[in-house]
Amino acid sequence: MDFSIRASTLEDCKDIARMILELAEYEKVLDQVKVTQKELEQDGFIKNPFFHGIVAEVPEQHRTKEGHAKVGYALYFYTYSSWKGRALYMEDLYVMPEFRGKGIGKALMSKVAQLGLAAGCTQLNFAVLDWNKPSLDFYLSQGCFDVTADMGYHCMRCEGAALEQLAQGDT
Amino acid sequence: MSNFLLRKAEPKDVSDILRLIKELAKFEKMEEQVILTEKELLEDGFGDHPFYHCVVAEVPEDKQSSDGYTVIGFAMYYFTYDPWIGKLLYLEDFYVMKEFRGSGIGSDILKVLSETAVKTRCSSMHFIVAEWNKPSIEFYKRRGASDLSDEEGWRLYAIEKNDLLKISAK
Repeated sequence: MDFSIRASTLEDCKDIARMILELAEYEKVLDQVKVTQKELEQDGFIKNPFFHGIVAEVPEQHRTKEGHAKVGYALYFYTYSSWKGRALYMEDLYVMPEFRGKGIGKALMSKVAQLGLAAGCTQLNFAVLDWNKPSLDFYLSQGCFDVTADMGYHCMRCEGAALEQLAQGDT
Repeated sequence: MSNFLLRKAEPKDVSDILRLIKELAKFEKMEEQVILTEKELLEDGFGDHPFYHCVVAEVPEDKQSSDGYTVIGFAMYYFTYDPWIGKLLYLEDFYVMKEFRGSGIGSDILKVLSETAVKTRCSSMHFIVAEWNKPSIEFYKRRGASDLSDEEGWRLYAIEKNDLLKISAK
């Protein structure tokens, strides 16, 4: 199937917002999504954007029955490794179920890798849920390794009231 | 002891920052993995579009470390994005030299970072910790941090440059 991969534009935010919700639903955490299409537009398309996006688009004749031509996306941003310098974090990678198995996921990831290497990054990081076997298999086949399993690093978070208390120095 | 100050890092600090990065990596038993140079730290942290931000802890000359340093702690962070909740602050490195621990310097650094997170409307502060690093895990959990790997099943993955080159060529 024919498809094209390109950098996202402001106009893509509506479809990206739609697919973010679809991915959250797949990960069983739809109620956790608070970001709006407007915030995506504001945060992704300013002078120093907080994230970058790429979308996968199919020609008219392959649109979904609801009329969508944008069928996959990846969101990434630049990070920094104190050991190795510039790095890339891939926050989301998603292809709509009916378009899977056609190389779109690989092509999106390949584009992210290209852009990262061009910017001088030596590493791509991302997180996967431990029950998500199809994704785990896909990533391992691309040469990734599980930093949590191999090196014992756990992802931690401090948010909401805990973050406010920390800021006020109440420990 | 409140004889220390916390300030934004300046270009002149890159040598101390790299020294402290290596000390922390040594503590994590990963010293040989640090290939970053002072030149890269300078370019990447103090240009038009910095890849990271740094806060350093400094003591007066008469309180310098046993090997003569006055910059004795640091935190390196940057802003990330969660498409579910928006901006986040990611804490990449956080370290205080051993001889200066126990005086509240670490707590104060974390306080400054949290204030930065709240001021810049970040919903959360994220970081990683090695599972064997019990003192640090306790320090963070006392301050309300949750372990996403344990609680939600998130695993951190990485692809190194060689494999990135292969993927990008496909």
